[in-house]
Amino acid sequence: MTRILRTAVFALALLLPATAFAAQTQYQLQVDGLACPFCAYGIEKELTRTEGLESIDIDINAGTILVTMADGATMSEAQADRIVKDAGFTLRAFTELPAQN
Amino acid sequence: MFKSGFGFGCLSVFLIGLVGNALAAPETFNTAFPVAKGDFVFREQFLYKRASGDPSSADRELEVLGGISVLGYGVTADLAVFGVLPYLNKNLEVTTTGGQRVTRNTSGIGDARLFGKYTIFKNNFPGGSFRIAPFAGLELPTGDNGDSDSLGALPATLQLGSGSWDPFAGVVATYQTLDYQLDAQAGYQVNTEADNFEFGDEVRFDASLQYRLWPRELTGGVPGFLYGVLESNLIYRGKNQIGGIDDANSGGTTLFIAPGLQYVTKRWILEAIVQLPAVQDLGGTALEDDYTVRAGFRFNF
Repeated sequence: MTRILRTAVFALALLLPATAFAAQTQYQLQVDGLACPFCAYGIEKELTRTEGLESIDIDINAGTILVTMADGATMSEAQADRIVKDAGFTLRAFTELPAQN
Repeated sequence: MFKSGFGFGCLSVFLIGLVGNALAAPETFNTAFPVAKGDFVFREQFLYKRASGDPSSADRELEVLGGISVLGYGVTADLAVFGVLPYLNKNLEVTTTGGQRVTRNTSGIGDARLFGKYTIFKNNFPGGSFRIAPFAGLELPTGDNGDSDSLGALPATLQLGSGSWDPFAGVVATYQTLDYQLDAQAGYQVNTEADNFEFGDEVRFDASLQYRLWPRELTGGVPGFLYGVLESNLIYRGKNQIGGIDDANSGGTTLFIAPGLQYVTKRWILEAIVQLPAVQDLGGTALEDDYTVRAGFRFNF
């Protein structure tokens, strides 16, 4: 009975997605000059070209962009600054948020 | 037999302010906002113009129906280049000196425009921006200026193109917040001679207010914005010259007031506006405008 139980626990552990143990990195970009929906697209388009990008969530009222990177991928402040500048705006703040498990 | 001054001058009247813009922007002229580096903006604007205020006995009625295509490209964050190509159908009804009512018509590609716009001042702040951007370009003689019908050559002002290479330049300033946007523009176009005809130079001052009507409150994300738009266009045109001599029935000053709507999302904009002449102080028997309706879309890619 004990052997069956051990086998079942082992099999369950194998079925758990590996990502459950990995960490995604999130960044919050505070952007100055972001004041209408059409503006947001220039930044969004450039961000989507970033390798390892998982998702983008723009809050136009707060002027913030929440960037979620895939497991193991990161974004540097210089990279974010270039992307925002190329779209014609200004990066006021770049914050790495606590890891999301 | 036909009056040469139709009061609407050359194609630049339709096109001088019509450019691709990266952001919410005026509908009848330019904005200082950029096209993001490496991005394209396509804009299509359809127009219907009617002019029938004829001080002469010719009882002229002019209708212009057209589509104006604009492609903009962001070379850098501050420099954008644009190409503008109109397709127009012009229809003129006029009573001849013999009392006969005749219709003259032409349609096809008009004069294209190429120009660049560069941001020389930029102040981005939380939830807004202020920018100043000069622009300069050239109107190319791509439209036919030698069209004719059974009555002979069409008047120069009814032709699709001017036949001339016409430089233009100006400056535009934009102040934008989440709630509203203000734009102001000054522009000048030098019209040169072609085939013994020269349109008068054009000076214009434009202003625009776009006010967010919906959503009233911003709660997060990137919702579509519905703007109420109010614009004005003060346009002065010098007299046309035929064979080096001023045409008294041309040129003058027009002030348009233009209410409109604009719906803006991340990828596209839908917009419509009506230009109504509030003041028309035109030379001689130049034809006065009734109204111009513009409607179209912009697409960001």
